[in-house]
Amino acid sequence: MTEIVVVIIIVAILVALGFGLIGMVKGGREGSDKMFKSLVTRVTLSVLLFLLVLFSGYMGWIEPNVVMVDAPVAQSPAQK
Amino acid sequence: MSEQEYYVPHGTYWPIIGSIGISTLFIGLANQMHGVEWGGSVMGLGFAILVFMMFGWFGQVVNESTNGIYNKQVDRSFRWGMSWFIFSEVMFFAAFFGALFYARALSVPWLGGADNNIFTPDLWNAFSASWHQMAFLAPGTELQSGTVMSFPEVPATGIETATPAMVVDPWGLPALNTGLLLASGVTLTFAHHALRAGHRNQIVGWLVATIALGVAFLGFQVMEYGHAYADGLKLTSGIYGSTFYMLTGFHGFHVTVGAIMLTVILYRVQKGHFDADNHFGFEGVAWYWHFVDVVWLGLFVFVYWL
Repeated sequence: MTEIVVVIIIVAILVALGFGLIGMVKGGREGSDKMFKSLVTRVTLSVLLFLLVLFSGYMGWIEPNVVMVDAPVAQSPAQK
Repeated sequence: MSEQEYYVPHGTYWPIIGSIGISTLFIGLANQMHGVEWGGSVMGLGFAILVFMMFGWFGQVVNESTNGIYNKQVDRSFRWGMSWFIFSEVMFFAAFFGALFYARALSVPWLGGADNNIFTPDLWNAFSASWHQMAFLAPGTELQSGTVMSFPEVPATGIETATPAMVVDPWGLPALNTGLLLASGVTLTFAHHALRAGHRNQIVGWLVATIALGVAFLGFQVMEYGHAYADGLKLTSGIYGSTFYMLTGFHGFHVTVGAIMLTVILYRVQKGHFDADNHFGFEGVAWYWHFVDVVWLGLFVFVYWL
């Protein structure tokens, strides 16, 4: 469920970024307004997504991709 | 300049200088790769010629713009040119995210014998499909964290045990870096607002903050690379290592280019090149920075979490 929400927000961010691009290509005051509003939306959604991912990880709703070195045991020199 | 007349320079030597620069750069690179002694220096010379061309050519365009010889049609050309550049950038990163998805969701499970495809575990009987496939570290290898790889024996059985050591932890530097880059998106938005409202001093402050956050991101990324590399995650560490370094490496390169572009924009703001209604240079670079920011967010979510 959390994964679906995360993906939906990412798609929304891409759409906002896309609208920002359309505003930039259009130019003029109208295009500039459109671009700015879209980019504000994209920044807001991005911060929201970041907080959601961290909170979901903290709550255990999603598991991080922790990268492990395969095989041998890691022992600190102090343990020897 | 009249609205009917589309400005085209009568003659320019910058394209040929660019061609000479690129040719020199790649002749140097190719020879460097073949171990030829002078390869590196020729490569450096090519790079220097390219930088010279960029300063000269872009500077000339800026001068033409501030002298008011561009009409609205030229402005539209710049905007469309930027949009095609962005299209190529989107495709560039889409290909790498596609590679990540393909390797992780399809080809690695197939190689491990998933589905009823022709790939079976018989390919190599010691193969086990794992996304985070890592190279084995030799006993005695010391990790940067101070731990030493060893093969201790379990006293009762005498069998060697295997416990993995953490190399990439999403809660550490990756989360910090995401915060830094997102903060730079926020400060850039404030700069954008200040520009549209005509507050030049505020623009300078927010732009400096944006560049500083970008540089801090790069610094931590270098630290993260050093840490991961020393702990055994390399370009050669299977498909995960390859896609990890390809995606994050090209992203880091884009942050570097973006920070350089923002620095140029900062200089131009101080020179008074932009006003509340005419600031395409700022808009182009701002959009680019937002895009690079979103790419990192995608990386953080798909590489480190989902």
